[in-house]
Amino acid sequence: MSGEAAAGMAGAEKNLVRVAKLKKYFSTPFGNLHAVDDISFDIRRGSTLGMVGESGCGKSTTGRLLVRLLEATAGTILYDGIDVTTAPERDMKTLRTRMQMIFQDPYSSINPRHTVASLIGEPLRIHKIVHNTTEFERRVRELMDTVGLADRLYDAYPHELDGGRRQRIGIARALALHPQFIVCDEPVSALDVSIQAQILNLLMDLQEKLGLTYLFITHDLSVVKHISEDIVIMYLGQIVERGPTGELFDKPLHPYSRALLSAIPLPELDTRRDRIILKSEVSSPIEPPPGCRFAPRCAHVRPECTAADPALREVSPGRFAACVLAERFL
Amino acid sequence: MHAFDTSGSNLSRSLRRIARNFGQFWRRFSRNKLATASLAFVILVALVSVFADLFYNYDFVTANSLENAFLKPGESGVVYFQDRDVEHRFLLGSDNYGRDILGRIVHGARVSLIIGFVAVAFALSLGGTLGAMAGYKGGRMDTLIMRVTDILLSIPMIMLSIAIVAALGNSFFNLLLAISITLAPRYIRIVRASVITVKDQEFVEAARCLGASDLRIVFRHILINITAPIIVQSTLNVGTAILWTSFLSFLGLGIMPPKPEWGNMLAEAREFIQYAPHTLFAPGIAILLTVLAYNLMGDGLRDALDPKLKR
Amino acid sequence: MDNLLEIRDLAVHYYSNRKVVEAVNHLSLDMKKGTVLGLVGETGAGKTTLALSIVNMIRGPQGKIVQGSLRFNGKDILAMGRQELRGLRGKDIAMIFQDPMTALNPVLPVGDQIAETVIRHEGLTRAQGWKKAEEMLETVGIPGIRSREYPHQFSGGMKQRVVIALALACNPVLLLADEPTTALDVTIQAQVLDLMRKLIRENGTSVLFITHSLGLVAENCDEVATMYAGEIVEYGTVDQVFGRPLHPYTRGLFGSLPRLRDSQRRLTPIPGLMPDPTALPRGCYFAPRCPDKMPVCGEIHPRDHLFEGHRVKCHLYGGNGREAGNER
Repeated sequence: MSGEAAAGMAGAEKNLVRVAKLKKYFSTPFGNLHAVDDISFDIRRGSTLGMVGESGCGKSTTGRLLVRLLEATAGTILYDGIDVTTAPERDMKTLRTRMQMIFQDPYSSINPRHTVASLIGEPLRIHKIVHNTTEFERRVRELMDTVGLADRLYDAYPHELDGGRRQRIGIARALALHPQFIVCDEPVSALDVSIQAQILNLLMDLQEKLGLTYLFITHDLSVVKHISEDIVIMYLGQIVERGPTGELFDKPLHPYSRALLSAIPLPELDTRRDRIILKSEVSSPIEPPPGCRFAPRCAHVRPECTAADPALREVSPGRFAACVLAERFL
Repeated sequence: MHAFDTSGSNLSRSLRRIARNFGQFWRRFSRNKLATASLAFVILVALVSVFADLFYNYDFVTANSLENAFLKPGESGVVYFQDRDVEHRFLLGSDNYGRDILGRIVHGARVSLIIGFVAVAFALSLGGTLGAMAGYKGGRMDTLIMRVTDILLSIPMIMLSIAIVAALGNSFFNLLLAISITLAPRYIRIVRASVITVKDQEFVEAARCLGASDLRIVFRHILINITAPIIVQSTLNVGTAILWTSFLSFLGLGIMPPKPEWGNMLAEAREFIQYAPHTLFAPGIAILLTVLAYNLMGDGLRDALDPKLKR
Repeated sequence: MDNLLEIRDLAVHYYSNRKVVEAVNHLSLDMKKGTVLGLVGETGAGKTTLALSIVNMIRGPQGKIVQGSLRFNGKDILAMGRQELRGLRGKDIAMIFQDPMTALNPVLPVGDQIAETVIRHEGLTRAQGWKKAEEMLETVGIPGIRSREYPHQFSGGMKQRVVIALALACNPVLLLADEPTTALDVTIQAQVLDLMRKLIRENGTSVLFITHSLGLVAENCDEVATMYAGEIVEYGTVDQVFGRPLHPYTRGLFGSLPRLRDSQRRLTPIPGLMPDPTALPRGCYFAPRCPDKMPVCGEIHPRDHLFEGHRVKCHLYGGNGREAGNER
């Protein structure tokens, strides 16, 4: 495999990020909310892992746990061998130069009171990377060029800019510290399609040029298919299916993945397919009962589904699913 | 030197940016005619109090001249001042000790303004710090600060200031302290509420993700976004502070005569309301107009600074 | 006459800061009875303004319909009085908006809100109204007993179902659905649209389906109109437009979409941004971003060209198509 070869050359492990048994519970007056409930996955160096799921499935929480904007309840997140969940404050500061995040909302993720230059240059100031104004200005202009922001916008304020340009500021800010790994939390879902395409192209170009590794969180399946090599599908805090993008889209193994994929509206003429319409809605993530979280909506539900949590298991090489019936869909 | 050039161009760029922002603000503010007039009045009062000594000698307005007592506005009299007799025209008349009322109002403006601004600045730094801490840290710190604030707010404000001055003794500094402490809870509340709305925005998360320290986040990302409500509140509070200074002085707890202060002028004139009403009207109107001007200006600022009303 | 709605030469302006925002520009559009027309376009194209104009809900003094006519079932909407308009809205023309919370009153039970509408428009008694409300909720898959509950007790998908029940309670002839499922998750969106399709088919309701998603248009609409800078730049049946998009903007939208089927690595986005609606360019509004721009495009505003009902506003088709009408 080419990924392995590349990793071998670098003399490092092929997985940049390894997440094991990660949990995040939020306490509420009604009990613990299981936002992320025992998930494990790896992200290969230089690849993009797409994380898909509907609102409340825990995908954004996972992203925030990875860059430690939230503290994990249990589990480990190994970034290049260092455990992010327990790293002391001093190590975190260096880690932050290596992993960054791009946020969903290009409006609220950009401080409206600062100029473009001061927004993009903020990480340089925080980590004292530049030592004088000349160097600062040169680096900021370089970053603006990298993400395709016109030079004349150096002193502009965010309110003068549209969503796409604001998102470019967010990307430039994330790139300023030369990170290797970026969590992209729905970076294009607030943008119009034509702008969305510009940003997706930019993200892919940057990955190629800088060898970045992405965790790409989204609810938009066509976007995730387009950008990622591997996919994780989440439902109510758990991973229900994991596998290489192409295979997973061709032959989804979990009943939820099947319903999710069939629900995508396709902008094509000959695709009035049979779709699987799910009954009812997502159940509560607060103190969920044991058993498959998807069972109440599943068309194939059996008695053993509600007995215990179905484990995420390798159904065929490289394909993982958390369903007792997964073989049936192979 | 090369580095010097860049900073020079940075400076001129920043200046241009500030000018542009101010231009936008002024266009919105100047639409409100009443607020613009209030601003002009506030500036006038400020200039008068700064240059009070050019108009009236301080010793002159504090010295008794009983033979000139209760002159009507516009009347003239001979005052024995600095070892000689001076012919003087009393534009707003004189009070029961024969002192020039306009002169006392001009010097009183200085006292009011100093107390107004210093008390507000002190309340802002105290309340702002506590409010920012409560809002940003949350948890026990928040509970503690807010309960104390609630207790302070449950005591009628004027009672609180009376109690403080009465307990600490009658002095200029204690008056300042009393007014600051009574104003501070307002800032705690407003700053805390603003910090809470701003701190959950994604840009604060983004800053944390970049490794910014708490101090940096509070100053560069949160406080900068809540300057508008603070400016508005402060303007209104200057008005309040002026009013309270007068009120406490009126009760005999603030600035004591013969030092000129609008409140104690009112207190002294009170006895002669039927005989010489002009001695009462002059300081009364001065208080009224100044406090009104600060309030109207505050309203105008709110409309001009509040982005929700931006058209 | 089989046109339910005829829009002719409609222009809507908003006034702000001494600037004129030209939100809808000389727009003409017909809707046949019983069809579902998809209106696609990006943020700021004027889609919602158009929908609000149809029920004469453009509010002064900022907004104004400055020109044109709107005929619904042959009657001029712009000439209607307040009373007549109120009878029209909610009864003959119903609306569904993106955010269900703007359509539901948070302090009234949902059943009450549906009942009120049918009582007002259909002249039912209070008891009949409540019965109808419960029926409508059952139709959208919500148990009738939940009619006493308040909007906040429903999830997002359920709320949008309530809004649909409310909109369809009086059997409207025309439904204006403005991004009705944008706020919902895909599986819930599929549920809601499935339901809407069923109800629309049963009642023969015509729908103006406003969306930014070409996928939703392909799956739900009979006809499609592409809107750009306040104009309809392309109009045709779904088969025509999706089979052979003519306008460079429509083609650009297709090129921007990541496809599930193809495995192309690079998308072809439309360069640049939508023009500033306070300073629209001379000539074709799309010309500054157009890959097929010709010298004439920067000079003269294109007319409509018709190809068997497939209408396109573009100079590329000037030579070999019949020109439609006498719009500018």
